[in-house]
Amino acid sequence: MDLIAGILHTSLLAGGVLALAALGEVLAERVGVVNLGVEGLMALGAITGIAAVVTTRSPTAGFALALAVGFVVGMVFAAITVYLRANQVLCGLALTLMGTGFAATVGKTYSGIPAPATFTGVEIPYLSSIPLIGQVLFTQNVLVYLIYIILPVMLHVLMFRTRHGLNLRAVGENPAAADAAGIAVQRIRFWYVTAGAALAAGAGAYLTLAFVPSWSEGVVAGRGWIAVALVIFAGYRPLNAVLAALLFGVITSLGFVGQARNWPIAAPVLSMLPYLGTIAFIVVPVVAWHRMRQVMAAPAALGVPYYRDLR
Amino acid sequence: MAIRLQRLPSASPAVALAARAIAILLALVTAGLLLAASGAQPLKLAQQVLKSTFGSGFGLEDVGLLVTPLILTGLSVAVALRIGAWNIGAEGQFYAGAFAATGVALFIPGPSIVMLPLMFIAGALGGLIWILVPTLARAYADVSELITTLLLNFVATLLVYYVATGPWLDPGGHALATTARLKHDMPEFIGIVHWGFPMAILLAVITAATFSFTRWGYEVRIAGSNPQAAKYAGMPFRRHLIVVMLLSGAIAGIAGMLEVAGTVHRLQGGISNNFGYLGIMVAVLARGSCIGVIAGAALMAVILNSGIILQTQGVNTSTVLAITGLILFFTAVGDELAHFRIVSSKPAEA
Repeated sequence: MDLIAGILHTSLLAGGVLALAALGEVLAERVGVVNLGVEGLMALGAITGIAAVVTTRSPTAGFALALAVGFVVGMVFAAITVYLRANQVLCGLALTLMGTGFAATVGKTYSGIPAPATFTGVEIPYLSSIPLIGQVLFTQNVLVYLIYIILPVMLHVLMFRTRHGLNLRAVGENPAAADAAGIAVQRIRFWYVTAGAALAAGAGAYLTLAFVPSWSEGVVAGRGWIAVALVIFAGYRPLNAVLAALLFGVITSLGFVGQARNWPIAAPVLSMLPYLGTIAFIVVPVVAWHRMRQVMAAPAALGVPYYRDLR
Repeated sequence: MAIRLQRLPSASPAVALAARAIAILLALVTAGLLLAASGAQPLKLAQQVLKSTFGSGFGLEDVGLLVTPLILTGLSVAVALRIGAWNIGAEGQFYAGAFAATGVALFIPGPSIVMLPLMFIAGALGGLIWILVPTLARAYADVSELITTLLLNFVATLLVYYVATGPWLDPGGHALATTARLKHDMPEFIGIVHWGFPMAILLAVITAATFSFTRWGYEVRIAGSNPQAAKYAGMPFRRHLIVVMLLSGAIAGIAGMLEVAGTVHRLQGGISNNFGYLGIMVAVLARGSCIGVIAGAALMAVILNSGIILQTQGVNTSTVLAITGLILFFTAVGDELAHFRIVSSKPAEA
């Protein structure tokens, strides 16, 4: 029983990193912008979080500062992809290279230092004493509840139950029609891409402040890219994205358990699991069920800059 | 008379080239300012780079060693771009090619004259197999190749790390975390630069000629710029896509084979030096032109070599990666701006 509880506990932590980044990417892609800079934003957030916590000893300050850094960098990315309409794939890759390289350069001095303070679990009275699940579900750090419940539900309601949500989805599906209906296409794109970037950087900080918790070069290890893939797997829906992230948390923690328990599989092979799993999960459903392609389709204008005069 | 901006559907080549040059220059200046802000002396560093790179034959030979894999990974990305596919997985295919070539060299006995071509084929096949699943997934299920190819990079990196530290670890125990030294070396061409260098250039020229002068190349170019038109004209889009993507993977695999047989001589983790990711940069700088890849690779090799020269000055491979990203960013912006021209026109009559 302890084993399963342990797996679940690690899964929630590992999945949380992916969930936060994936939610950010859902925001950007729903309004029609592919942000391939998630990996770089996560690296920036991860190093910001560690640097801030070393100075202030407050993980909350680290997380907040990472969000702010992501927000500012996101504004630059959004300005260039939305208003200037530069190629989104190139700018995303550039952001990944810059973020990863910059974080590694700055991070040299922080390498290997354990975070002096981390997000630690809070026991919720009564609920945490529920047998079996209580210890796993209700002794987590505060961010877990934010990532798994509050944020996705809020985003789901916003996107699918409000007029503004309809507008923002219209911007991603058919910007020309949205524009004709009087929706400020570029402004909506700009702010959602920016907010998404902030969440991605927050995911990086969550990685170094709650999950690992220390900085080392390559600590992000492709999680940004997995998050981008999860968004496709989740059909661009916030609730699905969080569930998919949790599933990947489970896969990741199985790798850890395998290493800790000396399963007869080499550690690097176990480490391949999340990547291979991601590929399987985005390929198999569309091959197996053709209808999935329509239900889970990407926003129609995804990746296409909007020019009003080219209608 | 009013002055306004007009966007052209395609930029004129001269403006595009000028925008490119300005973008690269601005990116380097920005990088210099950032370095200066962190306490380095960018002008002194630049001087040192120029002196150690172009001041001696040795410097140029170092660049030559770096240029070879960059031409090939750049070509790999550029080839896929021809049909509109993003192969972000050249890094993984590079590892797969190096892995396959090393396997052949370690476990099949034979004279070098036979083994080198065999390793070459193995390298190409390794890269090809590595891109097979993303290719089929894109061709038959329309799954974005961008993400599948990229995720396989991590798998390939782990695979090479695993064999180099585990099953294939040097039994002589002379080196840590690497295979035994391979018995078959690519012969030298000039100085320390091996024959892979002219081969890479030749491959780029052949590919460019194939795209420019054959019916197949023409169809691929049409399919890349307008898939709908290609399908309407009866061109087999899916078949072209599969062939081109597999070719792209094979080229990156060859790069891995040449690196292990010509430069490193052992398979080890980190052998790719980010060549695969830098290949994206090379292809973008070349605007997808297979000949332009050679120039793009030369520029990237000088930048990469600068990082190696400046390692003692606190600049390292991560810094180079960041600077590369900066150049890519400015290039993307410059590319878009090149589409605009200033026109003066009379305001419309009311």
